[in-house]
Amino acid sequence: MFRIPMVSVYRYRELVKNLVLKDLKLKYRDSVFGFIWSLANPLMLILVYSFVFGHVLRAGVERFPYFMMVGILPWNFFAQSLVMSTGSILDNGGLIRKVALPLEVFPFATVVFNLAQYFLALIVFFPMALFFFNVRPSWSWLAFFPILFMHFLFTLGMSFLLSTATVFYRDVRHFTEILLMLLFWLTPIVYEIGAIPDALRSVVYLNPASYFTMAYQDILYRGTFPSIQTILTVAVLTVLVLSAGYAFFSLLKFRFAEEV
Amino acid sequence: MSAAIKLVNVSKAFTIRHNKADSLKSKLIGTFYKRYREQRERLWALKDVTFEIRSGETFGLVGRNGSGKSTLLKIIAGIYPPSSGEVRVALNARIGTMIELGVGFHPELTGKENVFLGGSIYGLTRKEIDEKYQAIVDFSELAIFMDTPIKNYSSGMQARLGFALAASMDPDILLLDEVLAVGDEAFQRKCMDRIDRFRARNKTIVFVSHSADAIKQICDRACLLNDGALLFLGKAEDTLERYRALLNGAAPGHELGDGSVQPTGLTGTSE
Repeated sequence: MFRIPMVSVYRYRELVKNLVLKDLKLKYRDSVFGFIWSLANPLMLILVYSFVFGHVLRAGVERFPYFMMVGILPWNFFAQSLVMSTGSILDNGGLIRKVALPLEVFPFATVVFNLAQYFLALIVFFPMALFFFNVRPSWSWLAFFPILFMHFLFTLGMSFLLSTATVFYRDVRHFTEILLMLLFWLTPIVYEIGAIPDALRSVVYLNPASYFTMAYQDILYRGTFPSIQTILTVAVLTVLVLSAGYAFFSLLKFRFAEEV
Repeated sequence: MSAAIKLVNVSKAFTIRHNKADSLKSKLIGTFYKRYREQRERLWALKDVTFEIRSGETFGLVGRNGSGKSTLLKIIAGIYPPSSGEVRVALNARIGTMIELGVGFHPELTGKENVFLGGSIYGLTRKEIDEKYQAIVDFSELAIFMDTPIKNYSSGMQARLGFALAASMDPDILLLDEVLAVGDEAFQRKCMDRIDRFRARNKTIVFVSHSADAIKQICDRACLLNDGALLFLGKAEDTLERYRALLNGAAPGHELGDGSVQPTGLTGTSE
């Protein structure tokens, strides 16, 4: 009953690749600074928050710019994937009405595109951080890719959910943008989870995105392996969201060609 | 001869929405104010259609605008599911669709980039597209424009590239929707040649057209759809004759046994 989504996506891997390349090319073609623009956004955020939290509010997080880089890059991957997913099916309506193809490729390509952006940003920022903040290599880095893999699947699950919901209610796009603004502050990206009052902390713990952020911070910022609880929570959330998202998508995908 | 495609009691209903409420706001308003409420109507685009298309034949679908031809083609292609009934396609048959040319082409990308993107939309692998690339370029006669963004192409050139790409697919069953009228006369002849070669290799073609000439030229058999129902099925010439009679008739409708004509309009039932 539950068919593995990766089979059809694998068969159409060439399409996924071309959709991702198309978006990357279109994004940077004909602009002089090209890829540098997508680095400017996180860089500016880090600079502004470092100033506000480091010098105005004196939050007392050590190596704040590095701390924030570790949190903001995966957050951007997650948030931008979600916003883009709302159009994954809808914006490809012309195609979906004319050719029979596995519709899973569209949300999948959206998340892969944002993953590629995340990698490109990481390749530029991480060596800089190593240099400026004197970060020592750590065994905990080994845990980075397993966490990233789960983060990818979790985001994919959300992407299936949102791309489907938007087909039926166009509100989802706006709702997602607003919700992400709220979630940003309920995720420990610009503050440490230990530094906030208990009442507020339980709210942060209700936000699934927090666990991924905390795992990344353990691995890259603190140089320790995430706790078993964190890893288990991340794994359970990933399985739940991916299966729920894909089930929702599969249930309704037969109507996409008529609704978009 | 075995059946390539079998349709058993296929019906398809579309929900037509007036005042389409696709946002929560309009839905809410509709709950309180009746005149803004979404009106739904079920329109039967296909009604209980049963027939089979034999393997290796070229089969035409004729009928007036809105008679359900394209819907039927999309159901065979698997783009829409039927509301009821069943579509059976021969096991392991690769279906190629040419419902619109240049599907998925992006105006900012070059001709070459679009061939690779478009090829992968049809499910081709990188290797397959690499192998076919030269043939596609040759067929389209656009070799010197392959590095130009296709937004600078004329619509005829875009259609030629689209046809060249679609024609390079090697499906067992080809679904064609009125796409042959592209480019100049010389190019149209090339398109027809390509279809003929396809037929010569005993592939199955389902062809939708308004053009009686095109149907007569390439189809073995054809069926006539009217208002979603199968009105006639037989040899291409016989079906065309029937189609002409329908067009010349006073009102479109199902012929009754006594020769009188029962007019049918939109036979939708409101929900």
